[in-house]
Amino acid sequence: MSKEKIKVVISKVGLDGHDRGAKVVASLLREAGMEVVYLGMYQTPESIIKAAIDEDVDVIGVSYLSGEHLVFTPLIVEEMKKKGLDDVLFVAGGSFPPEDIPAMKAMGIDEVFRGGSLTEGFVSYIQKHVGQKGAE
Amino acid sequence: MSIRKSLNPEELVEKLLSGDRRAAARLITLIEDQSVQANGMMKKIFPHTGRSTIIGLTGSGGSGKSTLIDHLIGRFRTMGKKVGVVAVDPSSPFSGGALLGDRIRFQSHATDDGVFIRSMASRGYLGGLARGTTDVVRVMEAMGNDVILIETLGAGQDEIDIIHLAQTCLLILTPGMGDDIQAMKAGIMEIADVIVLNKADLDKANLCQSSLETIIHYGMDKKKGWIPRVVPTIAFASKSTDIRGMEELVQAIMDHQAYLHETRKIDDVRNKRIEQELGLVFKDEVEKVVFAGIKGTGKKREYIESIRAGKTDPYSVVKEVLSTFLRV
Amino acid sequence: MSTDKATAVQEKETQEHNWDEYLQSYYEKPASTRTWSGYEVKEIYTPEDRASEDYKATVGDAGDYPFTRGIHRNMFRGRYWTRREVVGIGSPADTHERAAYCFKNGGMGLNTIADVTYEMGLDADHPWAKNEVGLTGVNLSHIKDMETLVGDIPLDKVSWSLITASTAAAPTMAQYVAVARNKGYDIGCLRGSIQNDPIHFRYCGFRPACPLDLSVKLGSDVMEFCTREMPKWYYTTVNMYDLREQGITAPQEIAYGFGIAMCYMDELIRRGLPIDAFAPRFTFYVSCHIDFFEEIAKIRAARRMWAKLMKEKYGARDPRSLHFRFAVHTAGCSLIPQQPLNNLVRIAYEALAAVLGGVQSLHCCSYDEPMCLPTEKGHLQALRTQQILAYETGVTNVSDPLGGSYYVESLTDTLEQEALRYMKEVEGVGGMEEAIRTEWLDRRFEEEAIKRQKEVDNQDKLVVGVNLFTTEEEKTTPLGVQRIPEHSARDQIEGVRKLKMSRDKRKLNEAIKKLRDAAAEGRNTIPAMIEATQAMATTGELLGTVREVFGYSYDPLNIIESPFH
Repeated sequence: MSKEKIKVVISKVGLDGHDRGAKVVASLLREAGMEVVYLGMYQTPESIIKAAIDEDVDVIGVSYLSGEHLVFTPLIVEEMKKKGLDDVLFVAGGSFPPEDIPAMKAMGIDEVFRGGSLTEGFVSYIQKHVGQKGAE
Repeated sequence: MSIRKSLNPEELVEKLLSGDRRAAARLITLIEDQSVQANGMMKKIFPHTGRSTIIGLTGSGGSGKSTLIDHLIGRFRTMGKKVGVVAVDPSSPFSGGALLGDRIRFQSHATDDGVFIRSMASRGYLGGLARGTTDVVRVMEAMGNDVILIETLGAGQDEIDIIHLAQTCLLILTPGMGDDIQAMKAGIMEIADVIVLNKADLDKANLCQSSLETIIHYGMDKKKGWIPRVVPTIAFASKSTDIRGMEELVQAIMDHQAYLHETRKIDDVRNKRIEQELGLVFKDEVEKVVFAGIKGTGKKREYIESIRAGKTDPYSVVKEVLSTFLRV
Repeated sequence: MSTDKATAVQEKETQEHNWDEYLQSYYEKPASTRTWSGYEVKEIYTPEDRASEDYKATVGDAGDYPFTRGIHRNMFRGRYWTRREVVGIGSPADTHERAAYCFKNGGMGLNTIADVTYEMGLDADHPWAKNEVGLTGVNLSHIKDMETLVGDIPLDKVSWSLITASTAAAPTMAQYVAVARNKGYDIGCLRGSIQNDPIHFRYCGFRPACPLDLSVKLGSDVMEFCTREMPKWYYTTVNMYDLREQGITAPQEIAYGFGIAMCYMDELIRRGLPIDAFAPRFTFYVSCHIDFFEEIAKIRAARRMWAKLMKEKYGARDPRSLHFRFAVHTAGCSLIPQQPLNNLVRIAYEALAAVLGGVQSLHCCSYDEPMCLPTEKGHLQALRTQQILAYETGVTNVSDPLGGSYYVESLTDTLEQEALRYMKEVEGVGGMEEAIRTEWLDRRFEEEAIKRQKEVDNQDKLVVGVNLFTTEEEKTTPLGVQRIPEHSARDQIEGVRKLKMSRDKRKLNEAIKKLRDAAAEGRNTIPAMIEATQAMATTGELLGTVREVFGYSYDPLNIIESPFH
């Protein structure tokens, strides 16, 4: 089951105001042919998932740059489970120590991209894994 | 259970009609992708549509459409109405991708379940809307939304598909951007039921308002019935106390709606919408049938090269194709 | 037998293949001949490049107008730059501990930074604060928090830099002064600075807390108060560093930073302060990025431009008003998480540029900046970077040692020209406030950020570990990861709750009323904030009261209501 376009929601969560990366990624995903819903700052796990549902996205992308990655990741995963989004990819970018990556994956995030990632990396990851999650 | 796994069209429609947002969102995607299953589902939900208030907003980028929608959503919600919103943004002609950034301006309704917002990329469709917007509006009606707000691309004066789809059409202008001149050229009367003069705190706002009202006044004889109303607004201000004109705007919309219902013009409006939809569906189906016939045969390429070489012309080609496939 | 021969042939082939590659890289040429900001530079610069320039008029000695070479004649021979590492972690007690640690290990001044909740003007017990209190800085919700932060440090002897940038800087100043007064200090003797640049902070998030008019109002209140009452205090550090972190170029950093500085200056003048009364205490926060010579030239250009601007546009007479006084924060955005120890080298080069540029106070990033808060070891390493620079390399012996370099003087001229061009562009769209209001500046930041990413994607800019000499991603951080003690946030939230329950409500209400009146009558709000702080008003209450007077919601996030009606 394939779709015409890959649809992605990009959001910041909580109080963190570093949005340079989120905006750049949103633009570059658009240049890669994806449809990107950009939610901006001060979102909650609830508001992100609600947008993800209404927009029927394939990917939820969150940007963490103020140490909040271990706080919000489980909350987002929980909300995704609650609302039945088990076939939607959850990825994150930003600033976190490598030690926390296994923990984030154990919490349920699909992939993380730290600063210094080249565009090709996250674009090809998304293209490859969309529609694969939860596929039987 | 993942909704994508249960793609049974019957189930999807049932879920949608019982208020499942995900089902509705899924169906909208199928419509956007012009999936074959979409038509079957549209047939089923059609009887549940046609009763909502449909409001269109058009105007150039930066005029404040999104911010106005944010306020309108709030107002309709306090009236107890369920609101659906379609926000259209352009697809990149180079990559085919799109940045759908209107939603960010109505995120204050981010967790209100009485509001359903869908961003749509134009996917190359000209006319100000996305190709599937007419169907998507039907879906939103079937979901139970009382009011549906549609925000068009509105980059220029060519994007006027909205006037067939919306019952009440809002044209958003701002002073000093030369929009008033453009609007004059396009014929405001043709497009707008309500002209919103947003950023009314800017220089020359009064001048702009009077020139618009003059244009309308002189055009008045040609059109009986509803006189387009000019409503000055300030939709965006850092202080909520500086926001102006929202009450008057809602009143204007309600007045126009009342006018449509009292004079039964609402039926004409609904007819126009159906006519447009009929036309779209018809064209779609015919194209599908015709091109299904010659798809993969290389004939289309042959025809094109033939025309280029001057051996034939588009009219003759179409006649030939039609006579072959439709026995016309 | 035959297998040995086959192996030998194979080995020979392998060796030949390697030699070609080796030769190629041996003779490798740099791919780019541009500066980081994109300016083409020549192979070599000669006296011809500055042949007709009059040294005295356009360059000048250090300490002489236009101060291209430094604001003091003897620069570091007169006094080292201040080694001041930014510290902000967990609770006020945690931050005090780390600040004291840095101080003990050779840090010369204290430097503490607010966390996101504090900058947003939220008390620790705000519903949105609970998840994020103390993660990247410290939250000071009330006077007791400030007391804990300050501890026993002698405030008239130690220079303390308070990094609160947003409108919350006004409560910060009030809290610091309140504590100082309670301890019996004459506030005229307090030494240090407060960042206090709410206008720029909208570009770091925090727009709800920093609407433009309120930013100008509260920022200027702090500036005016300090000018009148605290002659040893630097009341602003206009933050060009954060602007640069958006991805803009070196001359843009100067141009937009100066534009914002002028917004404050124009307001202070409007309030009747003579330029020479406040300008000597005006300071800047500048980035030092990885293009070594460009950053030095940028600083020299900024110094010359500021001197000219103050003299010609503002008519300043006091030579100290003409000084471009600045602190440097090495560029966080130049650091990358891959191969993190490489960052130590980048930071060292950037620190060297800052010193050769003639900086007054320096913060070196910790190598783990792109990943987490600095550990003690990370902080120490950053300090050592500064100390090696200061004590071993000899760069402190001469003012502006690169002055007279044909290249550096030429590049300084170029950057000045380019910065002036950008300033003119801003004028063309209606001035800085207009550029901010219409989001013109946002567009510039977005454009530049995308350009920077594409430069790296396309290898137009080479970054070791990212698009050059990449290795497998590390699984651990070399000097460990800083974690916030779990109880820190809990304790602080408890503390705020207890304070709110146990304080004298009558006194508080009176003080809040005075603050409201001061704001409503257009007076400087700091004195009233100090009094209210002493009456146990919290950060959120101080800011919220003023916000309401100006027509904004009490809570920047519009979730809680004012308790004062």
